[in-house]
Amino acid sequence: MDALVLLGSFALLMMLGVPVAYALGASALIGAWWIDIPLDAVMIAIAGGVNKFSLLAIPFFVLAGAIMAEGGMSRRLVAFAGVFVGFIRGGLSLVNILASTFFGAISGSSVADTASIGSVLIPEMEKKGYPRDFSTAVTVSGSVQAILIPPSHNAVLYSLAAGGSISISSLFIAGVMPGLLLGLSLVALCLYTAKKRNFPKGDVIPLKQAIKISIDALWGLMTMVIILGGILSGVFTATESAAIAVVWAFFVTMFIYRDYKWKDLPKLVHRTVKTVTIVMILIGFAAAFGYMLTLMQIPLKITELFSSFSDNKYVILLCMNVMMLMLGTMMDMAPLILILTPILLPVVKTLGIDPVHFGMIMMINLSIGLLTPPVGALLFVGSAVGKVSIEALVKSLMPFFGVLLFVLAIVTYVPAVSLWLPRLLL
Amino acid sequence: MRETVLSAMDKLYLVCIWVAGAAIFFMSLIIPWGIFARYVLGTGSRWPEPISILLMVVFTFIGAAASYRAGAHIAVAMVTDRLPAALKKFAAIFVHFVMFLLSLFMLIYGTKLCLETMGQTISDLPWMAVGISYSPVPIGGFFTLLFVLEHIFYGPQNARAVVRFDHDVDHGIDATTAAN
Repeated sequence: MDALVLLGSFALLMMLGVPVAYALGASALIGAWWIDIPLDAVMIAIAGGVNKFSLLAIPFFVLAGAIMAEGGMSRRLVAFAGVFVGFIRGGLSLVNILASTFFGAISGSSVADTASIGSVLIPEMEKKGYPRDFSTAVTVSGSVQAILIPPSHNAVLYSLAAGGSISISSLFIAGVMPGLLLGLSLVALCLYTAKKRNFPKGDVIPLKQAIKISIDALWGLMTMVIILGGILSGVFTATESAAIAVVWAFFVTMFIYRDYKWKDLPKLVHRTVKTVTIVMILIGFAAAFGYMLTLMQIPLKITELFSSFSDNKYVILLCMNVMMLMLGTMMDMAPLILILTPILLPVVKTLGIDPVHFGMIMMINLSIGLLTPPVGALLFVGSAVGKVSIEALVKSLMPFFGVLLFVLAIVTYVPAVSLWLPRLLL
Repeated sequence: MRETVLSAMDKLYLVCIWVAGAAIFFMSLIIPWGIFARYVLGTGSRWPEPISILLMVVFTFIGAAASYRAGAHIAVAMVTDRLPAALKKFAAIFVHFVMFLLSLFMLIYGTKLCLETMGQTISDLPWMAVGISYSPVPIGGFFTLLFVLEHIFYGPQNARAVVRFDHDVDHGIDATTAAN
């Protein structure tokens, strides 16, 4: 009954249109009232939820990525990717995916990736004879790499939702192989499509020009070196590396690239405040919701429920994947990470699954949710940037969904894909 | 009357945005300074971490109030979009009611939390009371409450010029700060 009150009131409030963050807070209050917990305790949980140093990494990573995305980085990454794969048949679709791999290494936002890479590449792809819906589908599915490849603020969110017991560094390193596997699988699909639909080849870039393009892009890609180098060597914590990344991104954009106008900076700050504070307050209210979940022993009950289905971990993982895919179609990624992690992680631990591995499974599941109707942030932004209808985009995305589900299956059932690299490096 | 209130709320909105913006600006300077002090000056300062956390609490609660006015919060509209007009109106009133109560909760219980922890100090910052570090919670709650009342009496204000200030003609650019 406790679970019904807490989870039911949350679902009802959300369905009636209460913003997800506030629905979490209100249902935590209803839950506290139901089991006679003083409301002061809920307030302490909310304030404590945002009072953590590791949380600072989230606004920093988003801001660093935004500065880079708006400061002309995307154009340079596209040119850099063109050096490696532009001359192959279907080259521009491969450039799109590789540019997203690079973009993922400086930002964890797939939506920012779609917005910035898409606005550079979709018009160019169309000019070269690629259908607009296909170009947009490549852009949005390629941008999922940003969520997996470090730095990923969603990984920071998962670590926080797990109570800080999972190291952010392990999650960052664990995302490398699944991210690259996704990139390579998308490349394979694009190569096949290019051959079948006879997409054009690009030109080989002369060596002198290629060197110039590479040097230009390397300034931005140094962000990745700073972040990963700092964390792996133990010089910085993840939060510190995120702050350094902001300073570096600012330096490169304003003093090296100089594409961004100083007068536009207030707009960037305004946008960052609006988009990041909604995630931060979500974290605060989710902490109160998580506190009520624990008091009501709901994770324990959910573990028992899953155990009653089957004692086979592969079957349970399949059930969880289906559940996360379904929820992902209806809700955004950040609230789902915050709500599902405290509920599902105890089940996963009971089954002997590594929480870092489960983190990767969750990231891919919820990323797919960003591409699926009715609620899919990537779908909406992709449709706006690519100027294609949602219907046409979803139709073009069908083979890409196949690739994403293939990668999900590999990451789910081959733990080494996620765990090999962190075990090697950390 | 209406214009006076809306213009005052515009100013409050801008204060929230700039306070939150200044918080993130100083956070991104303080932490690198801490690293610089640790490795270059060899004087590991203890203040950058608690001050950054305080600024993050300011950023979160004050900024979230402005985000409410801007209609930026993530909400699920797939059910309410399909409701008949009368029920849609009921759902909207219900949302205002919940938002009003929750902001009031943040104001009252946030203030209580601040007052109760005024006697304690932060270990790395002995001059700062814990209550002060929590003060953005009731202040943010109060600002959200004002924006909720504004919404109830004068309707949504997310299309006002100050709120749309950051929108560029280029559709894609708005999404570069997205957190997904």
